[in-house]
This record gives sequence, structure tokens and C-alpha cells, in this order.
Amino acid sequence: MNKKKLRGYREFLYVLPFVLLVAVFSYYPLYGWKYAFYDYKPPKPLSEAAFVGFKWFSYMVDNEIKRKQIGQVLMNTFAVSGLSMLFSWFPMVFAVFLNEIKWKPYRKFVQTVTTLPNFISWVLVYSIAFCVFNSTGVVNSILMETGAITKPIMFLQSSEHIWFKMWLWLTWKNAGWAAIMYIAAISGIDEELYEAARVDGANRIQIILHITIPSILPTYFVLLFLNIANFLSNGMEQFFVFQNNFNKNTIQVLDLYVYNLAMGSGGYSLSTAIGILKSVVSIILLCVTNAISKLTRGEGFI
Amino acid sequence: MKLKKVTSLLLAGAMVIASLAGCGSSGSTDTASTDSSAATTTTDTSAAATTDTAADTSADAGSGETMVFEIYDAAANYQGMQTGWFQKVVNDRFNVDLNIIAPQVAGDAIFQTRASSGNLGDIVLLDATDFADCVKSGLIKDISADIGNYPNLMVFKEQIDVYNQGLEGNAGEIYGIPTEMLNSSPSSYSQDVIYSSPLLRWDLYKELGMPDIKDLDGLLDVLGQMMEAHPTNDAGDPAYPFSLWADWDGGDGMIGIANVVQLTTWYGEKLRGSMILKPDGTFTPLTDKTASYYKITKFLNNAYRRGLVDPDSGTQDWNSACAKMGAGQVYLMWYSWQVGFWNSQDRLEDGTAFIFVPVEDQNYYADADAYFGSGRVFGVGSQVDDAKYKKIMEFLDWYASPEGATFQHTGIEGFNYEVNADGTYTAINSNALMDNLPVPEEYGGAGYNDGNNAINQWIVSSNSINPNTGETYNKEYWKSWKEATNTQMKKEWAEKFGAKEPVEWMKKNNKLLISPNVSISLDSDTADIAVIRNQCNEIVCDYTWQMIFVDDDAAFDAKWDEMTAQLEGNGFADLCAFDQTKHQKELDEKNKYK
Repeated sequence: MNKKKLRGYREFLYVLPFVLLVAVFSYYPLYGWKYAFYDYKPPKPLSEAAFVGFKWFSYMVDNEIKRKQIGQVLMNTFAVSGLSMLFSWFPMVFAVFLNEIKWKPYRKFVQTVTTLPNFISWVLVYSIAFCVFNSTGVVNSILMETGAITKPIMFLQSSEHIWFKMWLWLTWKNAGWAAIMYIAAISGIDEELYEAARVDGANRIQIILHITIPSILPTYFVLLFLNIANFLSNGMEQFFVFQNNFNKNTIQVLDLYVYNLAMGSGGYSLSTAIGILKSVVSIILLCVTNAISKLTRGEGFI
Repeated sequence: MKLKKVTSLLLAGAMVIASLAGCGSSGSTDTASTDSSAATTTTDTSAAATTDTAADTSADAGSGETMVFEIYDAAANYQGMQTGWFQKVVNDRFNVDLNIIAPQVAGDAIFQTRASSGNLGDIVLLDATDFADCVKSGLIKDISADIGNYPNLMVFKEQIDVYNQGLEGNAGEIYGIPTEMLNSSPSSYSQDVIYSSPLLRWDLYKELGMPDIKDLDGLLDVLGQMMEAHPTNDAGDPAYPFSLWADWDGGDGMIGIANVVQLTTWYGEKLRGSMILKPDGTFTPLTDKTASYYKITKFLNNAYRRGLVDPDSGTQDWNSACAKMGAGQVYLMWYSWQVGFWNSQDRLEDGTAFIFVPVEDQNYYADADAYFGSGRVFGVGSQVDDAKYKKIMEFLDWYASPEGATFQHTGIEGFNYEVNADGTYTAINSNALMDNLPVPEEYGGAGYNDGNNAINQWIVSSNSINPNTGETYNKEYWKSWKEATNTQMKKEWAEKFGAKEPVEWMKKNNKLLISPNVSISLDSDTADIAVIRNQCNEIVCDYTWQMIFVDDDAAFDAKWDEMTAQLEGNGFADLCAFDQTKHQKELDEKNKYK
């Protein structure tokens, strides 16, 4: 009994560092949520700020135009996340096709080249985009030389198809990286399955359709569900660097909106309030997808 | 195989060495600067260990440990330890190193974090409204008991007193020292060129036969003809009369895009937050279609429709725009300092420099000399200990002294200027700042611009008179400089317009509206107004840019109406009311000088 208790303590000590880490870095920051309930404005300390209750929450939606604004921001968020979800099979298919390349040096080459952009920061991606697409950039120069256009096209300034363009940039940057997970899953497939299929006379397409893809589908679903839980957080760097006064209306996703509000001129309380709402909605989404997962796959992932 | 490996290793090694050598040989300035920064870091740590011991407080150089002043500096564009020649100047006199904390570099969030820790810095330089808030929050030290002992600061006693009396609930304490103060009078204007006016390339203007320009359309005609005659610069890159940039939008407490806001002063109007101050002394909201914000936005839109606007304008930043200015790809400038990116001594001589060309229907607004200061304020942090406090006051006193001001505005004797027989100065190495000339080792080494005063704000204005010479600190008003720059182009200009300098022409033709300099502490935004201001500013900026790039009047007005509706929904009316009361106080003060 005593020994068992001692072991219990010891095991508790094992996990203690991690519990502390989580408490300090994940739960302690939640304390900052209280800023949403005050009229906070630096340099006045919070203790001198007036308590306002849910004022900032109602502020977001207290008239038609603000509701429309928030609606537009949410729509952008959903559109951008929705697009990436709609095309979430892309890295998987890419991995499958990559796997079919039999000549190893070429396969390694393609994989490296597609993975590299993941390590380029968005700021640099934008400077590349600016060099290529500005009025005297490569694309405009070629189009002008060939006589296809007479006036440079302002690619970065147009707000048309911005969600799709953002998806393209994201895919260019991320596809190779995202495929790594699937490549690992593919290499874990039992070789015997393939041999059996070949013995049975299956061709390449049939092998892909009936063995490779079904085997990595569980990985796909786990990633997909995790994505749904992250539906509202599509990060802000990408949109921050690509935003300008012409496309802001359609590019401003929730994270960027919060940033623009808080860092623009100290709307800390309001942006904290939006942040809280976002967290709440994210938790709900996570629970919902978990329930769906339980229903469809028989097991949840949390 | 092995041999191959060895040779490749050798080659790689050689390459590394070559590239390292390449770095080293790019000038002795490099090594000098790393040397000095290494020196500062070592002294830094030793100073940190001994700041608490109230040891030697005398200003003697070399005695005691080096002290470090942390300067929270709203004006700085550089963050980190001061290096180079200015560091040497300060260190020789005070045995002090300056550690600059720059919110412009680190982001405004640093203000919040440092303010909530109760210690902004040892020396604090803030915008007046922030400063008033910090005084209220107890972040600034009361210096009233000691400031009387510092003669160079007491030169500005009147201005310092007036500023501090303006602080809310003040009973005679002194907290702040205004910046860029001047010893003339609050309503005088001593500069030759005003802050914002249309500046054209003299050679291109002459080529067109120096036509008189009636109004903004006339200006566009002239610019259009310039572009037609010279569609590219000498290097063959496309040139446009207008190259705009977006990254300064909403700055200086004004709502709207910087490029429009600055041009509104061409019609005697001035933005005060969300309100436009008209020449008749009344306020009207920015959304007023008869006021100048609409007029100038329309003007830029007309320019766009005529193809005169650089298509990259909406997406480029100041650095790209600035590079184009330096490369001669821009035909219109408006900031008085902007010409510094093009007008060199050579270009002034061969007549290709930018100069003010009047537009007949315009009436220019200018802020008077900053007698009471330009709006920022120096203060001492409330957490400094006695020894440090004494040294800080000594430093600030020197900073306001003729010697200090000469270093800040004029530079180093023997490097930036020489003393003439009559005691006045003659400038040498006038491109020191522009070209970052290497400074001789005896003055501290490194590049001149690298080692320039990183505080970037002065207690004494450069247009103040240096008691040692009887001339301003600013070299452009020296007799010797005027003689050297009285070029053919300047003579032609004077002949055409019948005046020696732009401001003289404006005064002669009654085209200059001078807004007196007053000292008043303006209300800071409440939390609500801060949010509204930010959102309204974003809306105005977005729509203004879109309006500049529309193709017809109907679309322009549709955008304008959409903007107005959006603003209304975001509480613009509250903001206007707030700004009106806020700035009426200032206006009343100004009217006392009429």
C-alpha cells in the first residue's frame, strides 16, 4: 500500500513538468480574457479601467453595418478554410502520385522541391509575389512584350477570386509538407497487399484505388477532423502580407481582423472579446466534429 | 574518388574564406562598427551591476563605471545601443551609453507592456497626449525641484512652464520638456520652403516654356506633358508624375491616406483627426464633399484616369517609392524634405532639381515655427535612482546646450563644418548623411549616418539661432551655404516668380496661411473613441485608395457614398464630435495670436 502510494507520487512528479508547462503557457494566458470586460487603454493600468461587462461583445453587433462587417469577416474565414478543406485531398493524391514515381532520384527531387517552400516565410513569399506580379514584373513584362495587353494588369491589387488565389499560394507553400504525413502512411502499408493484388492481375490504377487510398484514408480523416476544429484559425501572416487597401474587404479573416483591431490603435478590449468568441466557437466545432467522428468511425479523436 | 573529395573540400573552404574576405574588405567602417558595438556590450554589463551603488556622480569622463540610459523614444527609427560618433561624443562627456527603445521598430505593443511594468525608461520621449496619460499614471518623475539648476534648459523656461501648466490637474509641477523649441515668436515663419507644396522638376518645367498653372487640372496638364515628353527616366525605366505609397496612412493622428492628407494643405485646410480645419477657422467633417479631402482624392483619381499614376502605387511601400524618387521616375514631389532624395548639389547646378512651382488657385497652410515645441515631450522615468537622475538632468541640459545642438544639427567640427574667420561656419562633406560617409577614427569611426544621433528628436530646433555663430544650426540658412547654392536654376526661378525663396513668394502674393504654434495638451482618446478612430481610419483609407483607382465619376461618387455610409455605421459622428471639442480648444488658443 505504502509502496503503491510512493509510486503514485513518483509518477505524479514525472508528469508535473508537463502539467506546469500546460498551466503556465495554456491556462494562465486565459487570465488575460478579463481585458474584454474593461475599458482598457494603456498606459492606464487595468485596475484603474472601468468595468463594462459585456459592452464590447454587444459593440460588435449593435448596428446593421457592423453586423455586415463581422459577417463579411466570418464569410472570408469560412471561405478560405472551406476551400482548403474542399481541396484537402490534394496533398494525399499528390503523395500517392509521388509514390508512383519509380525512379528514386527524380522522386526525391520532386519531394524536396515541393517541401522547400514550407520553410520560406510569408514575408518572403510576398516579396517573390511582388517581384513576379508587379507592373514591371515578369508576368506583366511577358504579356506586354507579346502584345497580349497594353496596360499592366494589377494582379496584387485586384480583389477578384482572392480566396482562390490565397488557396493557390497556400498550396504552393504547403502541399509538399502536408504530403509527408501521407508518404509516411503509404510506406507503412503492408507490401504483401500489393503483391497479392499484382498476383491477382490488378493494374496500377486499381492498386491505387483499392489498396493505397483505402489504407491512408484513416490518416486523411484524422487530419481533416483536426482541420475542422481549426476552421476559424487560418493564421494571419499570409493574409497580413497580401492585404492591401483594395482587397482588404475580402481577404480579412478573423485572425487578421483581431490583429488589425488590436495593434492598429489599441482596441485591446474589443479584440480580446472577439478572441474569446473565436475560442468558444472553436471548442464547439471541435466537439461537433468529435461527435461526427464517433458516429462515422466508431471512435473519437479526443 | 578520394582525391575528388579532397579537392571539393578545398574548393569549398576557399569559397568560404573568399566570401569572408569579401565581407571584411568592404571598408574599414564595418570592422570599426563591430568593434564599438562589442565595446558597448561589455561596458553595458558592468554598468548594470553597479547602477545601484550611488558612487561617482560627477560628469567627468572616464571616472567611475559607464552608465546606461534606457531611452523610450517615440521618434527613433533605430532600436538598440547608440554607436558610432555620437556615442563617442556622449561617452566622452558623460561616460554614458544610450540604449534606445523604439516603438516604431518594436511595435506599439511595447508601450503597453512597458507601461504596465511601471517603468517606461530612464528618459522618456512621447507624443504629448501619451505623455499626459503617463504623467497621470505616475510613470514620469516630477523634476520641478531641480530643473532651475540647469541653465541651458532654463533658456526655454517660458515654453516649459506653459507646457506643464497645460497638463490636467497640474499645480505647478514640472514633468516634461517640449521638443524642437525655438527662440523666435509663436506666429513667425522663418523657413524658406513650407512643409507641403507642389514641387516640379525645373528642367522639365522649363522645357514646356514655364507655363502658368491655374488650378489642379492645369497641374495635371503640365505633368501629362512632362510624361509625354519623358515617358522614362534616363535609365529607361518607366516614369510617372505620381508614385504613391500606402504605409504611412493614418499617421500623425490624422485620418485618411497620407498622400491625400498632406495635399489638403495646398488649399489652406488642415486635417485634425476626423475634422478638417478650414481657412475661416471652422471645422467640417472629412466626409464633406466641398472640403479638400474630396477635392484631393478626386485630383489623384483624375491623375489616374489620365495615366499619370504609377500603377504600383497601391501596393508598394515607402522604400520602393523612395527608390523611384531617387532614380528620377517621379515628376511631382510635395514634402519639403522629399527633394533630399533627388536634389544634389550637382543637380541644383545643372538645373534638374525639384523646386516649388505655384498653382494659382492655391493658398498654402503651414505650421508656424515650433516656438512652444513640435508636439513631443521629453521626461524622466519615475523609477530612476538619485545618481542616475542627476546624470540624466546633466545630459538633458547638455542636449539643449549650443554645443549639444551643434552636434545634433550640424555635426562634427572638422568633418561637417569648418569655422570661418568671423566665427560663422562653412559646411563640408554635405553629403555625409545621404551617402553615409566614413567618419575618421578620432571622431568615433563608422559611417556618419550609422553613428548619427539615434534619439532622432531635439530639444532645440534646428532653426534656432546658435549663440556662438549668430546663425541657425541648420546649414541651409548659413550665409556661406546660400552663396554656394545660388545656382543658375535658382536665379531663373527668382526671375520668373519675382521672389528669392518660395516662402517669400507666398508671403508677397498673400498665399500663405500660418497657423500659430501653441502649447496645449489635448484630450486623449477614450477606449471607445480609440476603437472608432481605428476602424474609421481603415474605412477611409481603403475607400480612398479604391477611389483613386476608379475609371469614372459615377463609380467615384458611389464609392464615396458607400464610404460615408460605412463610417456612419461605425460611429463616425461620435468621433467627429470628440475631435471637434478636442481641437476647438487648440484653435481658441491659436486665435489669440490673430
